[in-house]
Amino acid sequence: MASLSTTSLSFKAPSTRISQVLKKGSSFQSVTFGRFTSSTSKSLRLQISCAAKAETVQKVSDIVKEQLALTADTPLTAESKFTALGADSLDTVEIVMALEEKFNISVEESDAQNITTIQEAADLIEDLVQKKPAA
Amino acid sequence: MRTSIMSQMQRSFSIELPKLVPLQLPSRMETHLWYVIPDEVKSTSLLKQYSQLLSPPENDKVLQMRGDKLQKNALLARTLVRTTIARYQTNNGVDPRTLMFKKNMYGKPEVDWQNYKNCSDPPLHFNISHTDSLVACGVTLHVPVGIDLEDKDRKIKHDVLTLAERFYSTDEVTFLSTIPDPEVQRKEFIKLWTLKEAYVKALGKGFSAAPFNTFTIQFKAGTNGGYNLCKEETKKCNRDWKFGLLELADSHYAAVCIEDDQARAPMRVIVRKTIPFVEDELISESKFL
Repeated sequence: MASLSTTSLSFKAPSTRISQVLKKGSSFQSVTFGRFTSSTSKSLRLQISCAAKAETVQKVSDIVKEQLALTADTPLTAESKFTALGADSLDTVEIVMALEEKFNISVEESDAQNITTIQEAADLIEDLVQKKPAA
Repeated sequence: MRTSIMSQMQRSFSIELPKLVPLQLPSRMETHLWYVIPDEVKSTSLLKQYSQLLSPPENDKVLQMRGDKLQKNALLARTLVRTTIARYQTNNGVDPRTLMFKKNMYGKPEVDWQNYKNCSDPPLHFNISHTDSLVACGVTLHVPVGIDLEDKDRKIKHDVLTLAERFYSTDEVTFLSTIPDPEVQRKEFIKLWTLKEAYVKALGKGFSAAPFNTFTIQFKAGTNGGYNLCKEETKKCNRDWKFGLLELADSHYAAVCIEDDQARAPMRVIVRKTIPFVEDELISESKFL
């Protein structure tokens, strides 16, 4: 009896966040869910942190639009690559610095180099914001 | 004679292209710098011809650019590379559509000469850079080359010294902080950015191989735009890399970096403006010590 209640507890906490993962779409296959049962809580958290909030994506998009002086009719999605929007290396550096200021985080150069899309920037931001010690 | 090469290609080459005027190869320690001003290329039929030069993956990449202007510039960049390289081939001219490209193991684009095993031409090196309003391609013989362009009037949104402290070497920060006029300081920051980018691109090993704060590019006093490359840690300067900084089209800084081929001779840069298939114009010849 006691062992049954502990196994049911390990699934309770992530259940609301799993629905966010489902909404992200086709990138998650059923195989992933099989891994949830035996994965550690750390890898579980990594799967969930892939889906950044829409609000964060919007804030990142606004900063990118401003830095690159994009016109209102430029098609922009979360998957938009910075280079496809006309960003060069100096633009990318300024975008990362603007994101640091907006979200009050610090981005390592190695992480900054891996950001190529708006979604990736938003994901990294949420990851860093979560890791910050509570104020 | 060329039909055997053509039959290997998947694409239809039934469309006739205008003839390309051949070019003499760059000589030792020489960089040929070609540029196109996108605003000067207005003809839609010419742009259509250009898109017929590109491979299907290249055309896909052009279409991924968001907006007409960015797509046009991306198209012009690939056209400039293909037509320029094709013109340097001395064996009766090469169809620019047949050129193939690959990436080195760090992602730097280069010509894939595999279809030209019988070709006796030594391999050319090239590097492209473009901004909103200018597209350029540098070409050398035997030695790696990197080029970078920046608009002289480019606005920097953050404080220049803050950016420098984070990304540049200590000597470069010192140099920039001694400049009293903020406008001059901004210009020097941009010049340094183009020089550092050009070096990293010439090196061809990706940005992580040479982070900006691990090396200094310093102006050699009393020379014609010559620069030294020095390591931040050791302060040792090496003469293996040559730099040149020019102004293009009154609007841009252009930095050129080549690996010295042991000639220890000045680097020459020959600048030409072009509209592929239409015209060339010799702009300048410079020597950099």
